[in-house]
Amino acid sequence: MTAAAGILAHNTVVVALGVAAVGFAAGVVGSLCVLRKRALAGDAAAHATLVGVAGAFLATGRRDLATLLAGALVAACAGLGMLVLVRRFTRTRDDAATALVIGVSFGLGITLVSGLPAWGYANSAGLEQFLLGHTAALTARDAWLLAAVAAVAVAAVAAILKEATLVAFDAAFAAATGWPVSGIDYLIVGLVALMVVAGLPAVGAVLVTALVVIPPVAARFWTDRVGTMVVLSGLIGLAAAAVGVAASAARPGLATGPLVVIAAAGAFAVSFLCAPHRGWIARRAEAARGLTVRRGDDEGEAGR
Amino acid sequence: MTSSTLVGDLAFGLGGIHAWAMATAAVIAASCALVGTLLVVRRMSLVGDAISHAVLPGIAVAVLAGGRPGGPLVFLGAVAAAMLTVWLTQGLRAAGGLTEDAGAGVVFTTLFAIGVVLVGLAPPGTHLDAACVLYGELAFLPFDTISIAGQPVPRAFVAGATVLAGLVAAAVATWKLQVFTAFDPAGARMAGIPVVGVTTGLLAATAVATVASFDAVGAVLVVAMLVAPAAAAELLTRRLHRMVVVAMALGAVAACVGYLAAWRLHTSAAGMIAVVLGLEYAAAAVLAPDDGLAARLIGRVRLAWRVAREDRLATVWRAEEAGNRAAARPQTPHEAVVVRWLEFTGHLLRDGSSWRLSPAGRREAENVVRSHRLWEAWLGRHADLPLDHLHPPAEWVEHHLGAEMRERLEADMDERAADPHGREIPPEA
Repeated sequence: MTAAAGILAHNTVVVALGVAAVGFAAGVVGSLCVLRKRALAGDAAAHATLVGVAGAFLATGRRDLATLLAGALVAACAGLGMLVLVRRFTRTRDDAATALVIGVSFGLGITLVSGLPAWGYANSAGLEQFLLGHTAALTARDAWLLAAVAAVAVAAVAAILKEATLVAFDAAFAAATGWPVSGIDYLIVGLVALMVVAGLPAVGAVLVTALVVIPPVAARFWTDRVGTMVVLSGLIGLAAAAVGVAASAARPGLATGPLVVIAAAGAFAVSFLCAPHRGWIARRAEAARGLTVRRGDDEGEAGR
Repeated sequence: MTSSTLVGDLAFGLGGIHAWAMATAAVIAASCALVGTLLVVRRMSLVGDAISHAVLPGIAVAVLAGGRPGGPLVFLGAVAAAMLTVWLTQGLRAAGGLTEDAGAGVVFTTLFAIGVVLVGLAPPGTHLDAACVLYGELAFLPFDTISIAGQPVPRAFVAGATVLAGLVAAAVATWKLQVFTAFDPAGARMAGIPVVGVTTGLLAATAVATVASFDAVGAVLVVAMLVAPAAAAELLTRRLHRMVVVAMALGAVAACVGYLAAWRLHTSAAGMIAVVLGLEYAAAAVLAPDDGLAARLIGRVRLAWRVAREDRLATVWRAEEAGNRAAARPQTPHEAVVVRWLEFTGHLLRDGSSWRLSPAGRREAENVVRSHRLWEAWLGRHADLPLDHLHPPAEWVEHHLGAEMRERLEADMDERAADPHGREIPPEA
């Protein structure tokens, strides 16, 4: 093996590890989001990121990952801000407001990314890789950046896990006992926006929501304990990201994002079918043995 | 590019490329707006988002199986994929206990991912690639024509117009069922309306509108065409049938304006149409006649100004009643401005270093003070409040009582009376 091939392989491994760290953190953050029944909170932020990527390139002329992702984070927060404004000042309902921000912000992003070459920014090629994710272009430095963001997010979740759990399971009690419920909600949504941005290079704006939705939903089948669920969800996210990156390295023609999502969906399918107690097979077997299927007990629990 | 070439190009282009592209975009946008209005009023906007993503694998499988884009096989595949999405989401909720948004989040992302991979596997030359999935290719559609009565007509326009005609016919035929189901599903079920069938029909219509749009604007931007015109129309009118018409018009206009803007700026037509739709929504949110931001802001400013005027007149009236002319002087810069205005309109007259009421000002002031004291008297009789709690509510309500209300309040009192503080209530001016 030549030295160049060795460096290439080394780079691939480092990138895979960085993306896997993002997968772990996204699973961890997503758990809080899914328990709070805000599974799609990140989707508006995700579709808005493209505007930020193009805007950061336009403003600075640079296209290193840190610059582009900083722009994406600003745009993600702006997208969520628009959502808050629409809800606050119009009578448009939540679902329409979310779909509106998704569609319009993505349209603006597409307009900018498609227009850049014609507007004289010849070196803008490659920005469209943020649509569906493409890890082949990432460097080891980029991977370290992603890993650092992931570490910050995991540390933040570890710090607020108790409070976030309380808010997720009984927001009314949390508010009555003086916890800043809306502050904790904003923190959770902010962390989701951060993970959506970190997931962008690998999974892309269109599908990155899956990174914060599928692993927690899959993990929920295996356990009733929040701590276990958070860690398990992180591990599922990690595995999905690693498998997706490896698969896209094997088939360079395919975007990475869909492969990561399909890997996560595989984990979900296994969890849905095979998990003890909550899994479909276990519940079928239980029903067949004539035992009561515990459905009513689950009323009032936070979302699964 | 100058505007004269734009006009020239448009004139040349009647029957030409740009006109056909705009016409195609307009019929597509109108179809989406029609379906989207029902989705928005039924709070199913995100179902529309999920379906518009999830039709991709259906389209990809149909194309891989030899269907041509825009052909019947592709529509069939897309509707099947949409039904699969809904069935899977509901199945996950029933069998796995997932909340609806979590289930949709799992299903549509997975199906879209599968669709993208299938598109990546498609052999070259199948008119299906990743860029088309995301942006569409509106600018190229007019080149693929079929012959109708000897004239070449773009295939995409024919497909879009057919879909629009079909959806309008279906909407007209099932309008009462749709409205009943949308606003009172329980009542509709009791009345024997097949609610599940009506909903399934709406979802199938969403899939059909999405497929008709797919070649032009891609899968991801359809959600803007579904939801934005309907959300804007909802701010402009409260009648559903008007909302549908307004939404379709907004969608068609945005399609034409967005196409032209994209052509001038050399960028994606699909993206620009979504941006124009967003601008239309923003304009509706600001300018809507009844509850747009501007109308609400103007209403608040006018109310604040009226309250300030009436408070000032009442203050001068009370100062004259108490014989304390100094109390009629404005205390703050804001009050000074109000006084200047009232002097300008002839309600107040300058009197040395202070002001007194003109006859017109006195009439208005007496009605305000009368409202205030009648309300205090009524509260004192009926609300069992201590004396010092009567003033604040009266201070608020004095600006909102009309002559009729004052008459009823007076009729409620036992004698020609004073207010609870013992001050005389002035007669109706």
